[in-house]
Amino acid sequence: CLRRALLPALALSLALLGLVAAAGPRQTPVLELAEELWSAGLPGDLPELEPECRSLLAAFAEGSAALTGCLGRRARPVRLCQGCHGHYRRLLAQYSSIARAVGNSSESHNCAKSILTSDRLQIVVTLSEFFNETWEAANCANCLKNNSEGLSNSTEEFLDLFNKSLTCFEHNLQGQAIDLSPNNYTEVCKNCNETYTKLNDLYNHLQRMNRQGGESVHSAHLCIDVEDAMNITRKLWSRTFNCSLPCSDTVPVIAVSSFILFLPIVFYLSSFLHSKQKKRILILPKRIQSNANLVNIQEKYS
Amino acid sequence: QLTPSSFLRIGQLSNVDLNEDIHELETEVPRQRPNEIPHNEKLLSLKYESLDYDNSENQLFLEEERRINHAAFRTVEIKRWVICAMIGILTGLVACFIDIVVENLAGLKYRVVKDNIDKFTAKGGLSFSLLLWATLNASVVMVGSLIVAFIEPVAAGSGIPQIKCYLNGVKIPHVVRLKTLVIKVCGVILSVVGGLAVGKEGPMIHSGSVIAAGISQGRSTSLKRDFKIFEYFRRDTEKRDFVSAGAAAGVSAAFGAPVGGVLFSLEEGASFWNQFLTWRIFFASMISTFTLNSVLSVYHGNVWDLSSPGLINFGRFDSEKMGYTIQEIPIFIFMGVVGGILGALFNALNYWLTMFRIRYIHRPCLQVVEAMLVAAVTATVGFVMIYCSRDCQPIQGSSVAYPLQLFCADGEYNSMATAFFNTPEKSVVNLFHDPPGSYNPMTLGMFTLMYFFLACWTYGLTVSAGVFIPSLLIGAAWGRLFGISLSYLTKGSIWADPGKYALMGAAAQLGGIVRMTLSLTVIMMEATGNVTYGFPIMLVLMTAKIVGDYFVEGLYDMHIQLQSVPFLHWEAPVTSHSLTAREVMSTPVTCLRRIERVGTVVDILSDTSSNHNGFPVVESNPDTTQVAGLRGLILRSQLIVLLKHKVFVERANLNLVQRRLKLKDFRDAYPRFPPIQSIHVSQDERECMIDLSEFMNPSPYTVPQEASLPRVFKLFRALGLRHLVVVDNRNEVVGMVTRKDLARYRLGKEGLEELSLAQT
Repeated sequence: CLRRALLPALALSLALLGLVAAAGPRQTPVLELAEELWSAGLPGDLPELEPECRSLLAAFAEGSAALTGCLGRRARPVRLCQGCHGHYRRLLAQYSSIARAVGNSSESHNCAKSILTSDRLQIVVTLSEFFNETWEAANCANCLKNNSEGLSNSTEEFLDLFNKSLTCFEHNLQGQAIDLSPNNYTEVCKNCNETYTKLNDLYNHLQRMNRQGGESVHSAHLCIDVEDAMNITRKLWSRTFNCSLPCSDTVPVIAVSSFILFLPIVFYLSSFLHSKQKKRILILPKRIQSNANLVNIQEKYS
Repeated sequence: QLTPSSFLRIGQLSNVDLNEDIHELETEVPRQRPNEIPHNEKLLSLKYESLDYDNSENQLFLEEERRINHAAFRTVEIKRWVICAMIGILTGLVACFIDIVVENLAGLKYRVVKDNIDKFTAKGGLSFSLLLWATLNASVVMVGSLIVAFIEPVAAGSGIPQIKCYLNGVKIPHVVRLKTLVIKVCGVILSVVGGLAVGKEGPMIHSGSVIAAGISQGRSTSLKRDFKIFEYFRRDTEKRDFVSAGAAAGVSAAFGAPVGGVLFSLEEGASFWNQFLTWRIFFASMISTFTLNSVLSVYHGNVWDLSSPGLINFGRFDSEKMGYTIQEIPIFIFMGVVGGILGALFNALNYWLTMFRIRYIHRPCLQVVEAMLVAAVTATVGFVMIYCSRDCQPIQGSSVAYPLQLFCADGEYNSMATAFFNTPEKSVVNLFHDPPGSYNPMTLGMFTLMYFFLACWTYGLTVSAGVFIPSLLIGAAWGRLFGISLSYLTKGSIWADPGKYALMGAAAQLGGIVRMTLSLTVIMMEATGNVTYGFPIMLVLMTAKIVGDYFVEGLYDMHIQLQSVPFLHWEAPVTSHSLTAREVMSTPVTCLRRIERVGTVVDILSDTSSNHNGFPVVESNPDTTQVAGLRGLILRSQLIVLLKHKVFVERANLNLVQRRLKLKDFRDAYPRFPPIQSIHVSQDERECMIDLSEFMNPSPYTVPQEASLPRVFKLFRALGLRHLVVVDNRNEVVGMVTRKDLARYRLGKEGLEELSLAQT
């Protein structure tokens, strides 16, 4: 809406500019012209930003480049929240300073307006939206402290345990030859079971806490770092090492279930054999006893 | 042809004593011994009576109607609207109550079982988890079945057949009582929590109807409370209108489909319809869904959000991803054919099962045991399926309420468990909306197969539970399977989103089982919130109905028939033109004279062998040779009220009667008139006379003997009559046509067949 309101103004100012440019000497650079206009105190949008705004914009550009780099580098294994929260916080600050910044002159010249809303593309807004969305999708707020400075205690604890279990895995694998058959990881399973169980329990505990705390669908997830770490560990544990072998007790299950499934057969058979079949007593209707009905009915289909 | 002598006999009958009447009958027609036969579908039960949809237009009624002026009529009209609003609100609240209780109890159960399974997966001993699950289910269902079997058997099943019968004009005993409502609501909660393959949507229709019938009367006979309001509506005609509004409100609360509810009432029930009634019913429906919506949104913590209009919410169908193209329409039609065949199979299996149940499992304790067994087996089947399934899906990014890991790797869940280890409503929504690839075809196939038999086995148990959701679930499962195989065949074309096919499958299956057309289309359309699906859903339902009708009839009609209810369809059987009223009617008729001896009336009413409800009143002529023409019709209930108040000619002459009887006295006794046995008439009083002319309906509908069956049928059905007197050209009573006389003709497989009457 705001953008739509601005478009005519933009068009008007561009037209004005073109008119002025056409009227001026051909070789005069636009920049000079602008400064000329500026000194003359002419109203309208200028091709160049105020210096304060320019520096704000530059800061935002650098911040977003740094954040993008950080996000890209930490995409796999996912370490977004741990590594990039500083960048993200800084970028947020820069964005809000742009949004809040008011230039030294009149209200129509503030930086927020000229940077954020004066064109169709609005690249700064788009960038900032993209970062915000990514951050929310990753649910990083979940593993940061409330003021988002640094990781929260539970996350630190979890990552500690995570690192411990990774080192445990490495440690125990080093002793074995590489070409061992994939099923023969018993050593790892035995030695790291304690750490792994702790890690798993902590994760489940965090998840439960989280579910109780938040109500909306989004907060049902933990932050992506924790989720991913747990995922990797679990995959290693149960897929690669094949450690979580549940006791499959097929025989008792089959016995119990076939017993239960057998019960209805007994029930129906016994009620068929022993229960007295319900009989209906026919009532003779009081009608004119002519055979006309039946004859009629039969006639139809003979 | 009637001989003159038989005419004479009928003429005499009105004057002779009833004992002689029976005596005479026995001499003329040698009575066959009452023969016993096993229950079958070709019977009409004597248990069911008609409702009096036709106002008895006697003098009292006319006087009262004349007294009511224009303004008073307006008050009545406003009262009708108020009642409709109350019906909507209460139905919505009952739906909320059911929803919230089921959600919490089922959540508790699944958490307990899940914790148990998780514990035993690590340690071994899963058979204990199986036992725990089965026992939990069986015990919950036992309670649900106990209350239904021993307290109110009419609350069993979905209640839709019963409401259909009620709106058709059949009085099903206890069907709209408060006790039934309580048992129904508790029963539904218990059977859904008990993990049976049932839904809580169908019973909402019954609950809505009971609420409507209760409110519109302004009193509860069960609680013995009379609020002294809405006395004008204490008769069958008015009650019927409100019950149809209640049924609509129930549908609307169940599916969030107000228009569907109105059309349901139109399609399934109300044979008597006008524009104002429709508008009022629509009002009640809207209020009902709005109440449910606002209360549930408060309960879920997002006030003013209004995002849960019904008990089942199909979720949003995104039109971009789930849109359909014109090429898919033949595929949808094919799905309709499949749905029709599967629905017919379902009905045929259920038919045999129900027949067996009626014949052999009729004792309440056996019924409870059966329900418990079904519950235990349902749990066992679910457990075994989950146990055997090796279909694991990553837990991340999925919205599974109770993920069971079992033998899956850590961080994954068993995808069979999402289907079995969940309330059926949730499973349906999962099947519609889970992203492609959430289920593998093997899982879906096994699930469909198992659930089909479970649902078929469950319907007809002595628990209150509906068939809508299980049908939707079966259909959604095979529909999704169909969609997946389609995208295999077409090498993964973009348009083959399995969720869309799951929806069409669900519609096809439901249509194949219940055979509803118009209302079901609208209900599905409203539940999905997507109007563009209207066309394919309509095609699917149409095909399913056509294909299904080729094999067997719909589930509800089948159950109505198995209950031996004298149900009148829209039209007389097509080949019945050769039958005339003379062949259809019952004769001879027990008539009363206009001024009748009290003793005779009492004797006629207490005669158990002829439990008649309406008696033609003929001219009391001392001369038996003269013609005794028809003067009116009086109902058993009116006679009982007259006897109770001792409105005898002699007492009036002696000024013993304090006041004249008013219409109010008849209404106060409605709807449970005392039996004749409870009314004491002394020997002296037996000799008194009773004057019926003020109370009888002086203008009963009559037909001549030559009227054809379709003509009689049309008159009877369109006016909602209970008694239709057959007269000859001298206005003498020849016979009487009642509902059972008409309902016994049915178009069977071999043409027109005649049902026999039976004591049940």
